[in-house]
Amino acid sequence: MLKKTGYQEKEIVKKEFPPLKHLKKGPKAFIECYQKIPCNPCTTSCPHDAITIKGDIINRPKLDLAKCVGCGICVYNCPGLAIMVVGQADNPDYKTFDIPYEFYPLPNKGDRVLGLNRKGEELGMFTVLRVLNNKRQDKTALVRVKVPNEFLYDFATIKVGEDNE
Amino acid sequence: MNEKDIIVCRCSDISLYDLKKLMEQGYTSFVELKQIARIGMGPCQGRTCSLLVLKELAKFLDVPFETLTPPTVRPTMSALKLKMIAKGKNNEEQR
Amino acid sequence: MKHYDVVVVGAGPAGMACAINATKHGLTVLLVERDDFLGGQLIKQTHMFFGSEKQYAKTRGIDIATILKKELLKQDHVDIMLDTSALAIYDDKVITLLNHHDYIKVKANAIVVATGASEKVLAFPNNDLPGIYGAGAVQTLMNVHGVKPGKSVVMVGAGNIGLIVSYQLLQAGVDVKAVVEASDSIGGYLVHAQKLRRLGVPILTNHSVKEAHGATALEELIIWKLDENFSGIAGTEKRIETDTCCLSVGLKPSSEMLRQAGAEMTYVRSLGGYVPYINQNHETTVNNLFVCGDVSGIEEASSAMVEGFIVGLTLANRFKNVPNFSVLMTDLKTQLKDLRAGETGEHIMKGIKQIMRGDHHA
Repeated sequence: MLKKTGYQEKEIVKKEFPPLKHLKKGPKAFIECYQKIPCNPCTTSCPHDAITIKGDIINRPKLDLAKCVGCGICVYNCPGLAIMVVGQADNPDYKTFDIPYEFYPLPNKGDRVLGLNRKGEELGMFTVLRVLNNKRQDKTALVRVKVPNEFLYDFATIKVGEDNE
Repeated sequence: MNEKDIIVCRCSDISLYDLKKLMEQGYTSFVELKQIARIGMGPCQGRTCSLLVLKELAKFLDVPFETLTPPTVRPTMSALKLKMIAKGKNNEEQR
Repeated sequence: MKHYDVVVVGAGPAGMACAINATKHGLTVLLVERDDFLGGQLIKQTHMFFGSEKQYAKTRGIDIATILKKELLKQDHVDIMLDTSALAIYDDKVITLLNHHDYIKVKANAIVVATGASEKVLAFPNNDLPGIYGAGAVQTLMNVHGVKPGKSVVMVGAGNIGLIVSYQLLQAGVDVKAVVEASDSIGGYLVHAQKLRRLGVPILTNHSVKEAHGATALEELIIWKLDENFSGIAGTEKRIETDTCCLSVGLKPSSEMLRQAGAEMTYVRSLGGYVPYINQNHETTVNNLFVCGDVSGIEEASSAMVEGFIVGLTLANRFKNVPNFSVLMTDLKTQLKDLRAGETGEHIMKGIKQIMRGDHHA
């Protein structure tokens, strides 16, 4: 279906998602790279050697959940913008998502922004907790969004702008 | 679908309708079409239209695309004035 | 008449890489470019590139152009002519050039054609309405000239270019209404498709343009579903109001100059059009006439660059001895092999097999 529609089915997302017991230990990367393509910056950029591509460069990257500290470096180094970091929020009813974001204007900390699922459908208004955009990131900002647990397997990105509250 | 509105060769303003009419009249090679209708002789020199024209030819003749002869390419690749070539002779002598 | 070891036609990723490697190993090189800048299509690529670090993966295309440019300008024996079109290649390896109004002849021991590719077009009613562009043209408008092409857009073609340009249109604030794809699946990298889809852009496979309408410019586009023979199905028409339509229906190699020079050519569908027969060194059937990049088959910019490095190194070793030639060449060939792994690569490899000959100069 992904090859026909451009979005991954929720069932598959659920299966690929970092298990909740790991999230309790700390934030973890979630790599949504479902196709064999010749690309490896995720592995070369990870300072913790948590991401590996076995054999040929086209093979899909594998994340070692024990090694991943959720630093987010792979998120802005992935040319496909296919990685996010999921973590436990202060409030147990929420998770935090660090997503790559390449649109201007960037949101600000505290902004309420529109959350979207993998099909681009609106999920509701979510709070931005942090925005990182340093030189090393080369124009791919890292935006942390507070997302209710119910959308754990739905949340994909945000829209900033006219839909803001 | 009005084939008069489908432009195949922009440079010479040839529509799919025009092209089909020409093919029916017996102009069934790129070279002939070029000579009769100036297809491929405009500023793009066939870069835009040649594949479209050849595709229609293959359909019309019911032959595989690969068997058709593409347009001949002769010097020069872009248009220039004769006086530029004449002047170029002088440039050469100075060098 | 000036005489060079190598004249390279086209200063995109392939031509620049070729010039760098040839001159780095001591050859005199003339690099000719039609535009008034170096880098070719790289300069409008604002997205991060795929591949590995050796091909500058995760660097944005425009920054790769800068890296190559710096490397090139460091070299001593390279002349660069911008704003210069190559006009013709003659049997004695004389190549004629046009720089503004100056007609110039130069002689070379070898000529490398790295002229890249041009966009294919689509035939549908009113396809000549203003507002209907090639996707590459729109990318040039936006990313080179800073001009927004319209308020909204329908992208035709879900290959990498269609997907990438759609994303860049969103970044420029243009409403991308849909990506329409004639085949039954997305041809470009799925990560690019996922990026668009999660921002709400529908990707409609098995769909194409039926016709365009508008009084003096594009106002609406009628799309429809296609059956398995790629014919439109009556009754499935959808009307989309839009002032811009981008055609991203493939590229074709700009190989006309090779045909003019007498290289044997053939039509290979998976490589995009008419391409020359080549040997392992990317030499055509004309002695000392080489090709690299999209002109010998449509691929990614990363592979074009590696091909350029391969041809540059080959020439250096032909005219001057390169001490560690086989080590350098093996590394480049491995890079190319890696880039051609996977589904898309297989398709390309099949095409290359059709044009690759043992050695037509033996």
